[in-house]
Amino acid sequence: MPRTSTVESPGCPPLRALTTDSLGLIKVVEVRGKGGGTPQVVETWGPPDASRSVLATSYADRKKDPVLAVARKNGLIEFLNPLKGDVLTTIKASESGSTDQSASANDLLVGLHFFKSKQEDSSSMLGTLLTCTEKGKVCIRSVGRSDAPSDQSIDSPNEWSVTNGGHVLCSSLDPSENYALFGGKHVELNLWDLNSSKKIWAAKPPRPNNLGISIPTWFTASTFLCKDDHRKIVAGTNQHQVRLYDITSQRRAVISIDFRESPIKAVREDTDGHTVYVGTAIGDLASFDMRTGKMVGCYKGKCCGSIRSIAKHPDLPLIASCGLDSYLRIWDTNKRQLLSAVFLKQHLTSVVIDSHFTAQELEGTKPEEPTSQSEVRDQSDQGGNCDEERSRKSKKKRKDAAGKKEKKMKMHDEEQISGIEDPAEKRLDR
Amino acid sequence: MAKEKKRKAAEEAVDGDDYIEREDKKPKKQKLILASQIKNKEKRSAVYAKLKHEKRVEKHKKIKARDAASKQALELGEEPPEKMVPRTIENTRELDETVCRPDDEELFAGNDADEFSAVLKQQTAPKVLITTCRFNSSRGPAFIKELLSVIPNAQYYKRGTYELKKIVEYAKNKEFTSIIVVHTNRREPDALLLIGLPDGPTAHFRLSNLVLRKDIKNHGNPTSHEPELVLNNFTTRLGHRVGRMIQSLFPQVPNFRGRRVVTFHNQRDFIFFRHHRYVFEVKEKKEGLKDKKSKASQGKTEKKAIARLQECGPRFTLKLVSLQHGTFDTKGGEFEWVHKADMDTSRRRFFI
Repeated sequence: MPRTSTVESPGCPPLRALTTDSLGLIKVVEVRGKGGGTPQVVETWGPPDASRSVLATSYADRKKDPVLAVARKNGLIEFLNPLKGDVLTTIKASESGSTDQSASANDLLVGLHFFKSKQEDSSSMLGTLLTCTEKGKVCIRSVGRSDAPSDQSIDSPNEWSVTNGGHVLCSSLDPSENYALFGGKHVELNLWDLNSSKKIWAAKPPRPNNLGISIPTWFTASTFLCKDDHRKIVAGTNQHQVRLYDITSQRRAVISIDFRESPIKAVREDTDGHTVYVGTAIGDLASFDMRTGKMVGCYKGKCCGSIRSIAKHPDLPLIASCGLDSYLRIWDTNKRQLLSAVFLKQHLTSVVIDSHFTAQELEGTKPEEPTSQSEVRDQSDQGGNCDEERSRKSKKKRKDAAGKKEKKMKMHDEEQISGIEDPAEKRLDR
Repeated sequence: MAKEKKRKAAEEAVDGDDYIEREDKKPKKQKLILASQIKNKEKRSAVYAKLKHEKRVEKHKKIKARDAASKQALELGEEPPEKMVPRTIENTRELDETVCRPDDEELFAGNDADEFSAVLKQQTAPKVLITTCRFNSSRGPAFIKELLSVIPNAQYYKRGTYELKKIVEYAKNKEFTSIIVVHTNRREPDALLLIGLPDGPTAHFRLSNLVLRKDIKNHGNPTSHEPELVLNNFTTRLGHRVGRMIQSLFPQVPNFRGRRVVTFHNQRDFIFFRHHRYVFEVKEKKEGLKDKKSKASQGKTEKKAIARLQECGPRFTLKLVSLQHGTFDTKGGEFEWVHKADMDTSRRRFFI
């Protein structure tokens, strides 16, 4: 007998998330108000255009100077300021002269990782970027700002190929940013050392079963398990398996768990270092404990579309998931309960949670333009942070006032958001 | 105890009181004996009959009073009291946030970008491939024959033993725009799989209530003109997408002279398919025929144009089971919408 009474979802703690979708729009969803707010769309950036559909995102979650890198289908990579949405710079995905133009035309970007920690020269350089295409071409290059003089010497991009055949479908960067992981269809998991550009480990497929049948390799999602350890890897396959690899012990999977019947589309590790959140193509979201290999539980919340992306809040026990059913859902990880769901009208591709979000309302100071980054960097950290915090807070305040009605309308209008990453930054407010 | 109750109840019946109510010894409580608690069948049915009669009498009284009030109001020239609207499940449908709004720019942009826009903007003509599951028998072939007459530019290919993924590949080579697979279960067509090409979504419908043309009384025979398409009540985002998918099966320029219409009507998540031929007629209607008393009033002949429908073609209902992103791949594909049991939280919640 289906349950015919409605249970009100409890609200979420203050939260800010950015989602990207298949029409190239970036929507900012915020939850204001302590303990029990409903998320609302405060901003939408970008014109709706299918050729600008977002394929991959990477969020440098830093206190000062955060950058959201977005890879689009038309071959451009845009770097945005996640506070305001203005484009800092745009580069072409296939940049280096050695690549053949016709070959790279069909080669879509699969992975994008913006290095958070490497910031050498901040006045002209935005940072370093790692890109990976479907055919396996990986490139590390530094990105200059758009207003930087063009004759500044940029390091030559570092390129190599990860695979001979097959398609790379997933890539991940370890939190210390020294190692990168690639896997895909007919591409076994490879671990590369970025400083020396060498493959240090490759996975081996599991042994054929007693009938002699071996499953073809098809990794659809992968991540590093601990944030301070590059040696443990969790990967999801197309054959609905979640596998744990340990590079110090063996090349085959240490633990392999079968989860229902749909391909695993998103895997995200928890900050405690042993829990992973897994999302499948049919909308099932579950968490596993990788020490034992057992499923902790499923997240029930009427999710009826493929989950494209999961994001974990760094501090709070919250995850956000987004998918093809156009909903951004925020879950509590302790109780596995749905906190709230927002309808964002497009197929969502990814979501990031902004962890430096405060819902405290200060006296409204006008948001300052982050003028020159070097200035901010040279000055005391606090000064720069305060400015940005204040700018974020006052922006929120203004948005709050204006946005409540809009939010409701926007919530109605939200289309399918393919990726919901919640860059939720919640701070002190709880 | 039970005997005591009955005796008391019998006493009350003798007294002429209502069976239903009786007062307990304790003055505070007042127990109500429901008619269903009476174990004796004859007495129980008598009580029920009495109740029913009472209800009917009350209802008649109400209706009479209402009619009298409205008639009086009309005569006096005032406005008649408001007509009561019956409460239906569609009236009380749960507010759905996914309903399409007319002012939604993202909706139009999404429409431009989706897989059907090439057909719907008349850049390609729809070409439909109809096939079946591997074992096809009984009503299946007859249904397919009728489908071929309903959908213009449709071709039937025997299934053979090809895998569906291969069929999708071959159809793409031959430039079809969609595939319809009629699945049979227990000698009855049971499911319909609608696959958009080249990389369109796959919709899986459950088919029920199929009535073939020969079983419809006074049916008509459809012509080969392009039909007009009527899509009713596809309000939500999901419904809009499904509606566009169905629209992409038919040619976009209907031949109005052909007077042929195909209707897909969505109600409570069931999509009803009807196929009619219509004809416009001018009917002379005399006014004041209802008022029998005044013979003196001459009937003014008022000409009204009405449309008469003649049903032709099959009649069936569809229910969406799942909508999958990409061509047919249930194991490895991503689903945009799939019906799950924990989505049915309310009788007033519908998804299309």
